[in-house]
Amino acid sequence: MKVLLENLPLLLPLIIIELVLMTVALVHIFRHPNYRFGNRAVWILAVVFIQIIGPVIYLLFGRGEDE
Amino acid sequence: MREYGAFTKKEFLEFFRTYKYLVMGLVFLLLGIMSPLAAKFLPELMKEFMPEGMQIALAEPSALDAWAQFFKNVTQIGLIILVILFSGSMASEYGKGTLVTILAKGMPRKTVIFAKFTAASAAWTGAYLLCFLTAWFYAWYFWRGEAWSAALLFSVFCLWLFGILLIAASLFGGVLFRTIYGSLLFTGGIVVLQFLLNIVPKAGKYLPVSLASQNMALLQGTAVTADLAWAAVTTAVLTVLFLAGSCFVFGKKQI
Repeated sequence: MKVLLENLPLLLPLIIIELVLMTVALVHIFRHPNYRFGNRAVWILAVVFIQIIGPVIYLLFGRGEDE
Repeated sequence: MREYGAFTKKEFLEFFRTYKYLVMGLVFLLLGIMSPLAAKFLPELMKEFMPEGMQIALAEPSALDAWAQFFKNVTQIGLIILVILFSGSMASEYGKGTLVTILAKGMPRKTVIFAKFTAASAAWTGAYLLCFLTAWFYAWYFWRGEAWSAALLFSVFCLWLFGILLIAASLFGGVLFRTIYGSLLFTGGIVVLQFLLNIVPKAGKYLPVSLASQNMALLQGTAVTADLAWAAVTTAVLTVLFLAGSCFVFGKKQI
């Protein structure tokens, strides 16, 4: 783990990207009641706990239409 | 020309509002950062997690490893994201019937095709450029001068051209089959077909897929620019054919 901690500044962008994706997906989840599949609880868990892939899957496939 | 500009603008706005820009930009940025990082730190991490007393000789990572990671990630993750993002473009227009009004008002049908192709190509170019520049920056940070090699630009260009072909193919698939799955299957089919044709000796030289598989060979010097020239020509011709086909089929289809 020492290797990772020493190079934290290099890894910071990765963490920021993950946080941005997660925030955007979470905001969208809370603003919209309808999803193409799944429900709110499932999506929140997926977006928060599956890094990168969770938010991307939500924004690409799970997101309901903006009406 | 005015219709073309307006429709391209509409496409850009749509990408923005459906989070396509966000997802694509961030994923490609991520690939750009991760590739050199993975090349640099994977050996050290492996050492860390190795059981006590176990010895494996690990080569010192070089800039070539970083580019190997870069090309692997972009072809395996980047291109798939690209095709998934843009395959729904035609299908959603058909599905929602949003094209009926504007086409009835007299916008030429081929404008739709060209505008969609332009917007998707621009998005791909931007995201890919971002990915490449980030990867290059990190590679330069770790290895300085080693990160650059003469074949690098051409190698990167080859993969870009292959992405453009995939966009044209998914557009054509979307026009033909009217569904996301049709478009995805068509694009996937084109790639699989090339893998099959690759078995035929000497055919590989002309197949667009070598643009996405020979990148490392170019950097290592086992392939030269001339080896890929024919593949680049076929790719360009195929792209034009797909676009012309899309215009032709779309002109005849009932909306």
